[in-house]
Amino acid sequence: MVETIKRLGGTTSSAVRRHRPDYQIVLYMGLLMLLGLIVMYAIGPQRAHVLNTSYGTDFYTATYFFTKQAISLGLALAVFIFISRLPYEWLHKYAKHIFLAGIGASVLLALAGWANLGIAYCSLGACRWFDLGPLGSIQPAEFLKFGLLLFVASFLAIRAKIGLINDWYKTLIPAGVIMAIVAFLVVGIQKDMGTGIAMVSIVGSMLLIAGLNMRTGAILLLVGVLSAVALIAIAPHRLDRVATFLAGDNASDSAATYHIKHAKIAIGSGGLLGVGIGNSVQATGYLPEAINDSVFAIMGETFGFIGLLVVLLLFSALLMRLLFTSDRLTGTFERLVVAGVFGWLAAHVVLNIAAMTGVFPLTGITLPLLSFGGTSMVFIAGALGLAFQLSAYTSHSVEERGAYESSRRGRGVGRTRYASRRSYR
Amino acid sequence: MFPQFQSHSRIRLLALAIMAIMAVFVMRLFYLQVIQHGTYVALADTEQVKRLKIPAQRGEIYMMDDGQPVKVVLNNTVYTVFVDPQYVDNKAAVIRTIRQVAGGNTVDNFAKLLDKTDTRYQIVARNVSRKQAELIKKRDLKGIGFQAVSERVYPEKSLGGQILGFVNWEGKGQYGIEGKFNDELKGTEGMLQSVTDVGNVPLTIGSHNVDIPAKNGKNVVLTVDRNIQAYSEQALKNGLKKLGAPYGSVLVMDPESGKVLAMANYPNYNPGAYNKVADAKAFNNDIISDPYEPGSVVKTFTVATGINTGTITPQATFNNTDYIQVEDRTITNATKGQTGRVTFDHAYTWSLNTGMVTIAQRLGGGSINSKARGVMYDYFHDRFRMGELTGIELAGEAAGILDKPNIGNGDEVRYSNMSFGQGMAPTMLQVGAAFSSVVNGGTYYTPTIIEGTISDDGTFTEAEQKPTDENVVSKSTSKQVQDMAVRARKAFYAGNDKKGYTIGGKTGTSQAIVNGKYTFDETTGTYIGFGGDSAPKYVIMVRASGPNQAIGGQDVIPIFTDISNWMIDYLKLEPKG
Repeated sequence: MVETIKRLGGTTSSAVRRHRPDYQIVLYMGLLMLLGLIVMYAIGPQRAHVLNTSYGTDFYTATYFFTKQAISLGLALAVFIFISRLPYEWLHKYAKHIFLAGIGASVLLALAGWANLGIAYCSLGACRWFDLGPLGSIQPAEFLKFGLLLFVASFLAIRAKIGLINDWYKTLIPAGVIMAIVAFLVVGIQKDMGTGIAMVSIVGSMLLIAGLNMRTGAILLLVGVLSAVALIAIAPHRLDRVATFLAGDNASDSAATYHIKHAKIAIGSGGLLGVGIGNSVQATGYLPEAINDSVFAIMGETFGFIGLLVVLLLFSALLMRLLFTSDRLTGTFERLVVAGVFGWLAAHVVLNIAAMTGVFPLTGITLPLLSFGGTSMVFIAGALGLAFQLSAYTSHSVEERGAYESSRRGRGVGRTRYASRRSYR
Repeated sequence: MFPQFQSHSRIRLLALAIMAIMAVFVMRLFYLQVIQHGTYVALADTEQVKRLKIPAQRGEIYMMDDGQPVKVVLNNTVYTVFVDPQYVDNKAAVIRTIRQVAGGNTVDNFAKLLDKTDTRYQIVARNVSRKQAELIKKRDLKGIGFQAVSERVYPEKSLGGQILGFVNWEGKGQYGIEGKFNDELKGTEGMLQSVTDVGNVPLTIGSHNVDIPAKNGKNVVLTVDRNIQAYSEQALKNGLKKLGAPYGSVLVMDPESGKVLAMANYPNYNPGAYNKVADAKAFNNDIISDPYEPGSVVKTFTVATGINTGTITPQATFNNTDYIQVEDRTITNATKGQTGRVTFDHAYTWSLNTGMVTIAQRLGGGSINSKARGVMYDYFHDRFRMGELTGIELAGEAAGILDKPNIGNGDEVRYSNMSFGQGMAPTMLQVGAAFSSVVNGGTYYTPTIIEGTISDDGTFTEAEQKPTDENVVSKSTSKQVQDMAVRARKAFYAGNDKKGYTIGGKTGTSQAIVNGKYTFDETTGTYIGFGGDSAPKYVIMVRASGPNQAIGGQDVIPIFTDISNWMIDYLKLEPKG
């Protein structure tokens, strides 16, 4: 298969000449990162105080979270630049290896956790992180997600090219087996439902773009929902979260209820314009995970409805740029990869915000680019870096619909000047 | 829709989906943040805004020490340790830790309280020091909590226990200064309404914040001198031991200001351990709360009344037969044999009841008629203020009994008895203040025990001057009575006095009433006297009694002498040349 990929990679990249990439991706990503940094700066002191009090130390300084977030962002930007420069053919070529490395890392984590090795960092019965001592910790699931993106994209690209995307034996069952293995590692062992859903979203987006017919899609959706129900039913905390969601405001006083209730209080008390930077009260310990999973709620309290509109607008714009890029890519692998990145980002954004606003059960998933946390930030930046690189290979030749002669936006350099004068509305 | 997408309908589908979801989010956010805003603000306030009581510090109490205020009642913060049996996960460790660190402060069988898992609050130790509490906290055990409690500390132990009183478990002052000045001492609680973090720590966020600082209680400075109090308590204890008497009191006053210098009662108690006192009688300050018949010490007032009204002089005489008839009663002398024509000075020295009745009769021109009784009442009550509250700043003062003339018991017999100290019941403090006015030149000073207050920054403010009443007797009367008291003391008991000082006094022996009759089988011994150089500088009154014990005035003199001699040294009085 590697041979095939290589061949395909060779052909696809030559289809369109490299041109100026889509800097809007950088713009929206950068603005979101900046917003996240401002929030860290604003609630860092409260958060530090909460942690210092509950652990009885004075380890956390007022700028601890801001500094760490800035370092994470620096690292994420470095990875973004690196991936955007690293020839994607190389990633295409080694997609399987990267995926297998991700599987290997997850297996290693599972074994280390089972053997109680110090390198595996576990909490509440789930081992999700490798503890690298002073270097911090990394979450292999994020790496696996990235590997899955590349590997499934290349696999589906091959199948799509030979028109077998709807073939159960050649395509769907093998993909299902891959998903089952990944789900076992991530959802079963690491107990990370959020990442599991994100992976399903990645693969689902790619399948959809690859041309899955609706009937098969419906069957797969059913299988997916049934597996999700099974996975929820076997884990008490998931059951609790779903029960909380279904019970609404009448839910019993469990951790999930508390979390959702306080997320809504934070968002609701923010009002139209928010309480302002540094005035968040929910961040002083009421709202759990204030700087991680609940950062959207804190932003709602701080910046209000208007602020959250801006956040939603930025995410929407970024997602639309990804779709736009995927749309214009001529190579199947490339198109699928960007669609997968879209699925990845969309799953995180939608699941997180839906949970915080109380329209979907809590999944414990980060809000990309805004939440505090290194690994997720670095890999989403890597995925966006890949999409950014591929945006330099979009084609604008298919047909001419817009008539914005003067628009410089979306103008490629790979095709004729006339063809590049396209815009979108 | 989405015409910018070139070819793939699937892309359009995804775009449509994400836009639809975003639209749902926007609507949801609009609902939460704009429509339901008020509801969520209210919800946020209920959990974020807290009212905290700021406890006021109870005022501290000072005594004087050679002119300087020193603290005798302090506050100390101690901790009550409680457990939440439902939350304790390592029971053995909790028990071990509490036993190790606070073994002496635990409640009985505290280990069993941890089994009461249907409760959430069990006190396991009290009065744990801050250091102990921190040690327990360090062990990081689940389910242990602490409550800070302010506790009174008495570095001088039982010194002046009955003056000070104590603070009960509710934080309310009982008896003495603590009882009388509870409101002033306890101060006013402050209130803090603030947005707090989840651990109830106030934040500086929001506009709900109210901060009413606590007003600490007043710090009270007593006129009582720590050293005089200590010496009086010791002298009383020693003296009672020699006598074998179980009860006794000593009052030391400054006759020139009405200030109480010491109030000692035996038995006394340690206010810090008030809950270990078996008999609540020990809480009473008998000097102010136990009126009694002072007996012959009242003769001082009768003589003063006689001299000041010009009815007698010390050297005037009367015929003593040891008996005198008043209506149907025959009054006899306790000391017999001093018969014939004797001076009133002699009658005072020998404590002759007949002499005093004679003075009372002469006040009425021959009999203790209503005029005589009126004059006596004017002096005893209106001038010397016996039988009414002195207004001393201590809880539990009794008014005592002094019958008005002409009504009720105030007949001739009663007033004849009163002339030598029977049939009336003032408190020791009333007698001490009255005696002071007679020997100090004739000014009645309302007795006081409050020197002033000290603010939190240490500034001393003197208490307002209490009303004085000048010329209750003339200077000359005062001088003559002083001399009589000095002669009375010299005649029998002056042997142990320091030489070169003016010291005088009068005994009193009052019979107890058993089965309605006065008996000599049980008597209370009283001695009141003064000491000084050119003028009286201190008045000391001693009293001792016991059931079925005949204790006479002369028996308590050694206690007076002991304190008196010590006072001369303590006050650094100069002997006369």
